[in-house]
Amino acid sequence: MSQIIIKDRIPDNELLVGGHLACPGCGGALAMRLVLKELGPNTIVVLPACCWSIIAGPYPQSSLKVPLYHTAFETGAAVASGVRAALDMAGQKDTNVLVWAGDGGTFDIGLQALSGAAERRENFIYCCYDNEAYMNTGIQRSSATPWGAWTTTTPTQQPQATQKKDILAIMAAHRVSYAATASVSYPVDLIDKVRRAKEGHGTRFLHILAPCPPGWKFEDERSIDMGRLAVQSRVFPLLEVEDGERWRFSMEPERIPVEQYIRAQGRYRHLTDEQVASISASVEHRYNSLKELEQRSTASIS
Amino acid sequence: MSESFNAIPRHTPPISVSSTSTEVNRTGSWKYIQPAYHDRVAPCSAGCPTGVDIQGYMTLLREKRTAAAAELLLQENPMPAISGRVCNHPCESSCNRCEFDGSVAIHGVERMLGDRILEGRLPGSCRIRHAEHVAIVGSGPAGLACAYHLVRMGYHVEIYEQEQLPGGMLRIGIPEYRLPRAVLDRQIEFYQAMGIVFHTGCRAGEDVSWEHLATHYAAVFIASGAHVSRLLSLEGDQAGRLLLSGLDFLHRVNSGERPDLGRRVLVIGGGNTAMDCARTALRLGSEVTVVYRRTREEMPAIAEEIEDARREGVNFRFLLAPESIATLDSGLRLSCRKLKLGELDAQGRRRPLPTAEPPLELEAETVITAIGEDSELHMITADLDDVRRAVNTWSCERFARIFLGGDVAGDERTVASALGAGKRAAIGIDRHLRSHNGEHFPDELLEEMSIGRTGALSMARWMHSDPVRRVSPLNDVVRPEEINTASFAHEERHEDHHAEFSLSFAESNTGLSEAEALAEAMRCFQCGVCNECELCQIFCGENAITHDSVNGRFVIDLDHCKGCGVCTAECPRGAILMERLAGQD
Amino acid sequence: MRKVIVGNHAVSWGVKLARAEVIPAYPITPQTQIVEQLSEMCASGELDARFIKVESEHSAMAAAVGASATGARAFTATSSQGLALMHEMLHWASAARHPIVMADVNRALGPGWNIWTDQTDSLAQRDTGWVQLYCETNQEVLDTTIMAFRLAEQLDLPVMLVLDAFYLSHTSEPVDIPDQELVDGFLPKRQARYKLDVNEPHAFGALVRPDDYMEMRWQLHDSLRSVVDAYAGIEREWAQLTGRSYGAIEPYRCEDAELVLVTTGTITSTARHVIDERRERGEKLGLLKIKMFRPFPGELLREALNGIPRIAVIDRNLSAGHGGIFAEELRSALYLGDVAERPDLRGYIVGLGGRNVTPETINDIIDNALSTEPVQRPDIWVGVKA
Repeated sequence: MSQIIIKDRIPDNELLVGGHLACPGCGGALAMRLVLKELGPNTIVVLPACCWSIIAGPYPQSSLKVPLYHTAFETGAAVASGVRAALDMAGQKDTNVLVWAGDGGTFDIGLQALSGAAERRENFIYCCYDNEAYMNTGIQRSSATPWGAWTTTTPTQQPQATQKKDILAIMAAHRVSYAATASVSYPVDLIDKVRRAKEGHGTRFLHILAPCPPGWKFEDERSIDMGRLAVQSRVFPLLEVEDGERWRFSMEPERIPVEQYIRAQGRYRHLTDEQVASISASVEHRYNSLKELEQRSTASIS
Repeated sequence: MSESFNAIPRHTPPISVSSTSTEVNRTGSWKYIQPAYHDRVAPCSAGCPTGVDIQGYMTLLREKRTAAAAELLLQENPMPAISGRVCNHPCESSCNRCEFDGSVAIHGVERMLGDRILEGRLPGSCRIRHAEHVAIVGSGPAGLACAYHLVRMGYHVEIYEQEQLPGGMLRIGIPEYRLPRAVLDRQIEFYQAMGIVFHTGCRAGEDVSWEHLATHYAAVFIASGAHVSRLLSLEGDQAGRLLLSGLDFLHRVNSGERPDLGRRVLVIGGGNTAMDCARTALRLGSEVTVVYRRTREEMPAIAEEIEDARREGVNFRFLLAPESIATLDSGLRLSCRKLKLGELDAQGRRRPLPTAEPPLELEAETVITAIGEDSELHMITADLDDVRRAVNTWSCERFARIFLGGDVAGDERTVASALGAGKRAAIGIDRHLRSHNGEHFPDELLEEMSIGRTGALSMARWMHSDPVRRVSPLNDVVRPEEINTASFAHEERHEDHHAEFSLSFAESNTGLSEAEALAEAMRCFQCGVCNECELCQIFCGENAITHDSVNGRFVIDLDHCKGCGVCTAECPRGAILMERLAGQD
Repeated sequence: MRKVIVGNHAVSWGVKLARAEVIPAYPITPQTQIVEQLSEMCASGELDARFIKVESEHSAMAAAVGASATGARAFTATSSQGLALMHEMLHWASAARHPIVMADVNRALGPGWNIWTDQTDSLAQRDTGWVQLYCETNQEVLDTTIMAFRLAEQLDLPVMLVLDAFYLSHTSEPVDIPDQELVDGFLPKRQARYKLDVNEPHAFGALVRPDDYMEMRWQLHDSLRSVVDAYAGIEREWAQLTGRSYGAIEPYRCEDAELVLVTTGTITSTARHVIDERRERGEKLGLLKIKMFRPFPGELLREALNGIPRIAVIDRNLSAGHGGIFAEELRSALYLGDVAERPDLRGYIVGLGGRNVTPETINDIIDNALSTEPVQRPDIWVGVKA
């Protein structure tokens, strides 16, 4: 079979409706749609402040067909802990609780609550859709912003000077039962991971890269392509970690040069070839470390 | 005091709680371009001089609808078993899969389907639906194609062939190891069964007069081919007596003769006839060297033919121009000027230029020339260019009843283009005869009938009998950059099988197995035609695309589509186009 | 059942009897005993509730919000810094109309670190839309805890139960603990008006534009204003069952008083003792305890203080740069009424950071309040070392 037909592997559930207020080509809107396809209607979404606070629609609207609780920026994991507890008390143990947070609400302001919940093994799925900056407030840097990127608070004269925080490693260090990275550009891999998360117990963490046309400065229609380039260039590898120790690459598409990803985005336009080469080197370095982790995991299993 | 002071809010809930969905927002109004589904033209079909709906029959094959696939193939191509063997398949060089992992082996699929057809029952006689009779001069691929299409349209057709057996160049020019006579004979049987009448051994202008043809038939199609070998004049040769004409040589061998050529044979030329001569001479037991004035890259022969010749042991001497020939005791000595390549010529090939180096001398018992063939034009009474233009443009008031096509018309000398020319003539004749019966065919129709606007004519379009469902068809060709290869897996192309190496006249290329042909059909990108893979729907962040599985199409909720273009970008096959909205610049 | 328990445990018992379902909590002195005992009750199975050991008070309130939004009866407890950290979520709880009950054991805010009693922590949250009830005794703490849930769920408002650090939280008193059956009858299982329900999916808390925001806040305000009457009704019912009630305010020997002391929390007990003594000496002194700070029971206060010429408000709290908070609130409440003659209202700031407020302190305040010399400033600091 030449074309990889994936439609049979995508659940039919449609819990996102049209008319939502995401920008055209928004990776975050698609991420929600895909995740809810697998989780299904028996799901409650907890939504700390993020782009999705707008995408979900203003009062009296909702763009989701599942219950949705808007909450304060840093409280996603904490509110979800309460929702979970209340559901358990009411005997609704099979209802999924999904925290849907941006990178700011996860890497930055919400990290404490997330860490607390993860350590307590709170039984919910935490999805961070990562567009690598505070996009809703107009593209300010977060600790998920990659090195070298332009944002309105990291102008080109002084672009983001530190590496993106390794949130997956942070979550793995909490020894959560399941943590994974995923991309809207690889929907089957994403859906599989949501399913594994759904079937698991305790705090389950998904880090979904959500390409952002206005924030990353690329054409709307290239949104899926951008996610694909991120994975192919190994800038955003697709990983899974079980119990914080068993690391594996869920899929590794044919490799492309990092330049191809970087040079497709306006937020990196100011970078020199040498700077792009240094990004490439750090991507390579991290890839090798991850490969070692994977090999060590495989060795320890066998 | 204003009533607005201390009013009691009765219509707002105490908290922000939803009571409606975002669907009330017409976010579709944000867009200035919008996607639309179209069925477009695959480059293979556009590149096929015969105008075969390759993408269409590949799709049917994938769906395991083999009979329907064969029927679709037969709608445009009268002899897939033959063209699958001998065509130079420009479809494959046009294939959008080339860059990805090699083109689809279209010829192999075609041959497999063609063989299945010939293995089947003979077709019934076609029903006559028109009163007019049509005469065709020449039973080569162009004449056969024209006859085939006309018969299928319901005309009575008679073919005049000067040889004793029909087939034209297929029979006398193409060696048996490439086209087994059994295949050709079976194909002719099919045509006879359909109702085509053959007058063999009957040369137009001699055995039957042009006056007879012009008065007894409503239309005449002249497809008499090009049977005159071009002469090579060499110093030391009297009227070419020391040289053997390639076409004559092939004709003799293809008629069953097995002449003794001696130990060493030189073949002059780089085209398909030269390759056929070289490989045939090899089969007669000689050592063969091809002498060509440019290099392998410039050779006009089909690449596979060159490769087969090389594999079988034919030697090649490039950049040589024969200048003189002399008779020796031991045979013949050909003296050749050494050449080098210069600037590009009008055809885009590098021009060979003479060098000052001393000439190279080659010895052989036989020297065969295969440097091209010409048609016998003396039979044509009208001005050739006018007739040819008449066929190509439909503007044929002057020569309405006489049509010309194939090698005789100076078309590209391939079976595929001959088949296309025959079809074009059949459509031209049908149009002409029906115009006389009061039907009107505007000139714009020509572009509409042409695959991808400039390609071969489509019989399906002419007959309004396309068995493939089309969604808003657009007659433009899918460009390679419109293919999103992300959802395709690399899969090596299946190559033809070859029987164990032997220099016999039996066919050595055994083609593809049915399974391999099906696998090749699966490799088809299905350029420009939706296969309901649903990627557009899966990747729509607006959930604005729904799949209507009953009608097998997608419906875009334009009230909510923001025009991001992701569906278009992600469609693997260019079947969705972004269109500017009316009133937008 | 009668038990001698500390104030903190009176809260725990109240929560247990109220059958709270979700208890997210974070330790902080002097509140810690409340949640310690609750965690023991959960662990032993005495209380069927989820105890969530959150990593901060902010998360404690956030989790309570989540639980309450899902229909559960939620409780938490905190003090001082913890309450200050919760501030954002206090607004969330009230504006989302979550009937969460929280105990705040009053403790001074740092720096410097101070673990002793001071009402500034809870009073600083006055604009968050929470009902605030200040308690004087351990019995009142227990009773108020149970009533707080009734009140909260009746009006979809969060209720803060406030008690003094150590004087109440760590002081043992005999407490009459009602039967579970009695409490169950008084406080049935919560029936949430709105909740996160997969069978009836709604979005809560979405962006509200200026054209609807005011209407929602109006309703929050209106519900809070109705608390005074609602609480009175709930207390009447509680009194029928237990014989105990407290009132949003409690005037004590105010009839014919020339001076009324206004107090909250445990200072009330000290003041009551002093008033009794000086009444015996023939002085026309009264006492008024304010239990309910939010909503501020202005009407009740105007009625109770009508005709009283002198009022001394004792504040163990500080709105820095302004004065004692109860004094200011009362002053503004009295301004609204048609009080014939404006009383001489003096605000006394005492006992900040847990400094002892003794009968002598109260006597000094009374003496000062009775003196006719004009007041130079609205806040009079008592016992500040020169």
